[in-house]
Amino acid sequence: MQIAEPGAVEQASDRPRKVGLGIDLGTTNSLIAHFDGQALSVLADDAGRSSLPSVVHYGAAEITVGEAAMARAVEASPDTIASAKRFMGKHRGEVSDEGYIAFAEEGLAFATSRGPVTPVEVSADILRALKQRADYAGFDRIDGVVITVPAYFDDAQRQATRQAAELAGLPVLRLLNEPTAAAVAYGLDSGDEGVIAVYDLGGGTFDISILRLERGVFEVLATGGDSALGGDDFDRLLADYLMQQINTEECSAAQQRGFNALGRRLKEDLTEHSSVTADLSEIMPDGPTLTVDRDTLNALCAPLINRSLDACRRCLADAGIDRVDQVVLVGGSTRMPAVREVVGALFAREPLSDIDPDQVVAMGAARQADLLVGNRGEDDVLLLDVIPLSLGVETYGGLVERIVQRNTTIPVVRAQEFTTARDGQTGLLVHVVQGERERVEDCRSLARFELSGIPPMVAGAARIRVTFQVDADGLLEVSAREESTGQAAQVVVKPSYGLADTAIADMLRAGYENAAADMQARQLTEASVDAEALIAGIAAALETDGELLDPGERGALEAAVTALEEMLSSGDAEAIRGATEQTGRASELFAARRMDRSIQQALAGVSLDSLEQDVGE
Amino acid sequence: MVSPVDAEAPSSRDYFELFQIPVAFDVDVEDLARRFKLLQKQFHPDRFAGNSAAEQRVAAQMSAELNAGYQTLKHEVKRAGYMLQQSGIDLSRLEREPVDGEFLMQQIELREQAEALREQATSPDASVIEQLHQSALALYQSNLAAFRLAIGEGEFEAAGKAWVKMLYLAKLRQELPALGSSGVASWS
Repeated sequence: MQIAEPGAVEQASDRPRKVGLGIDLGTTNSLIAHFDGQALSVLADDAGRSSLPSVVHYGAAEITVGEAAMARAVEASPDTIASAKRFMGKHRGEVSDEGYIAFAEEGLAFATSRGPVTPVEVSADILRALKQRADYAGFDRIDGVVITVPAYFDDAQRQATRQAAELAGLPVLRLLNEPTAAAVAYGLDSGDEGVIAVYDLGGGTFDISILRLERGVFEVLATGGDSALGGDDFDRLLADYLMQQINTEECSAAQQRGFNALGRRLKEDLTEHSSVTADLSEIMPDGPTLTVDRDTLNALCAPLINRSLDACRRCLADAGIDRVDQVVLVGGSTRMPAVREVVGALFAREPLSDIDPDQVVAMGAARQADLLVGNRGEDDVLLLDVIPLSLGVETYGGLVERIVQRNTTIPVVRAQEFTTARDGQTGLLVHVVQGERERVEDCRSLARFELSGIPPMVAGAARIRVTFQVDADGLLEVSAREESTGQAAQVVVKPSYGLADTAIADMLRAGYENAAADMQARQLTEASVDAEALIAGIAAALETDGELLDPGERGALEAAVTALEEMLSSGDAEAIRGATEQTGRASELFAARRMDRSIQQALAGVSLDSLEQDVGE
Repeated sequence: MVSPVDAEAPSSRDYFELFQIPVAFDVDVEDLARRFKLLQKQFHPDRFAGNSAAEQRVAAQMSAELNAGYQTLKHEVKRAGYMLQQSGIDLSRLEREPVDGEFLMQQIELREQAEALREQATSPDASVIEQLHQSALALYQSNLAAFRLAIGEGEFEAAGKAWVKMLYLAKLRQELPALGSSGVASWS
């Protein structure tokens, strides 16, 4: 069956392949990968290292990232920030760790010698370091990136991640859930059909996703996890165990780090060996040498591993699935024999391990990035992801009314009608929350906004329609409208305690201060390219489907295009952008009609298609 | 603070029409899934990543509509509710109306049995749980049959009464103790 796809971007063979990169922005390590149409590769730095420790050092003289930052960790600890991902999109009340300070309204920042630094800025610095690897690999430009996030990330955490990319100057095509990315890395290679479970034990978070691959569509059936369970917790358990063995209750921060690092090393070594020795004199003067065996590690970690299995069972139930065809392991801690064993037993499948569990997420992201920049191939796979946590609004008595249930396929638009509680009520506070609990205080508060100007009526007479829109990135936009008056209010949910849009703009401006002229030229070029693409797109569409518009509609659209063409020569980036936006809006009706027509065309072949399938099977 | 009135899907084209399938309660779910995936492969915003913002907006709307339509038509209870709604029946009114006494008694009995199993000290016998699920399923299926008959003859009020019972039973089923892997026939 051959249908012209309206969204297809023509890829002429003589045009250079566009560059889309996949980024795994991890709690402990980050990676950037590329797919060249044939092979996947993780981009290394000038020293050949592929994995970048997610650590940034804010020294008085310079900012260093990765290994270099870790090397400075001991001498100046408050200036060295690790695991910033744990703080993304969080507000003060949610974090118990020390070492951060109040910032913005409810936000938090780390106090460094260079002043307060927010988790978003730390992430941006890590992204900049990854970007340098792309330069080093010889890419003179990046057309777009796909950044992975834990499936369990809520809206605020996703928004914070997007902001970090914006700060680093990276064009984000898509935020992709980590387990989905891992499944893509495997699924596209194997070309298999079936149900896949992805068990992702990262440094700081645990995710489980159940996906089905069928007819070129990857459908996430359910996702779940535990955002406070990670491989780092295993390291700490071992560290605590070592300290107990030598009756040490308190130690310096440096020693604590030493114990944690030793715990991690022992955990890794116990993958290969059934018993290892730990030399504690590395950490404390005259510390003894201890022997730790694998059974001890397993006994220590069993409660944590069991917690992950509970999440797996819940996810299977949510997906309505009782058997899976394949199990994919993600994250370094899944190398632990105990993890492999119990996960294999739970799903009754030997877990796949062909791709390095530390790299599989970045590789899946790279494949998706390559696809999204427009390098379409024959075996394109479409991803249908879900929203990980339910979204709702606050209602009477601090209860939550859910509007979008968790595990709903995105994008999604859902509306619900509400009314006023008091006679003569003219305003309505809409409090948007995310989570599975019944009470507002147990859920994540995402945004509050007010719909005002409701005409005074008796309680229960007003009809207020609240619409939730979640895009393919899992990002939320909420609008409210009083039906009788049309009074409307709208909000794009931004983390209220992250960086405000203006703060981001200020930082971007500061970064470009020295290159103001370059910046203007770039903006003009970008605006012109967008405008020309729109003009060409409309012209091509009018050519093929022009009869879908009546003469009046066609005239109006053509007038908008002409106005835009005239604006192009003005050299005013802002004006061109405005005209592009206007012409785009004017073309929406046409675009919608063309889609309606292609539905008919697409489905015309279905019965024939299924017949062929049946004969073939 | 807001007070909920009624959940509804955004107004849109008829879902049966969207997937170009006959308007009938019995839907070939496999065929529906095939149509859904074919259309998503064409209209998902990912397919428009390089296109104009206007096209991306329209694609996102279309894709969201496909998701909503697929989820609604895929599940029996949701599909039944949707057909009633499309016939002009107010679902929230149906949900507020009291159900008949006999059905109420049957429900209470099933719930009491489930409660007794939960409070029991020893973990209940698998066959006892299965028995409970079977009873609930039988009750569901008789109402499903009643719905199918009524909606086919255009008797929306009767269909509505059967739908409410299907809804109750689907909720009840979620509250029953979980079946082992050798479960009875699944409900949609």
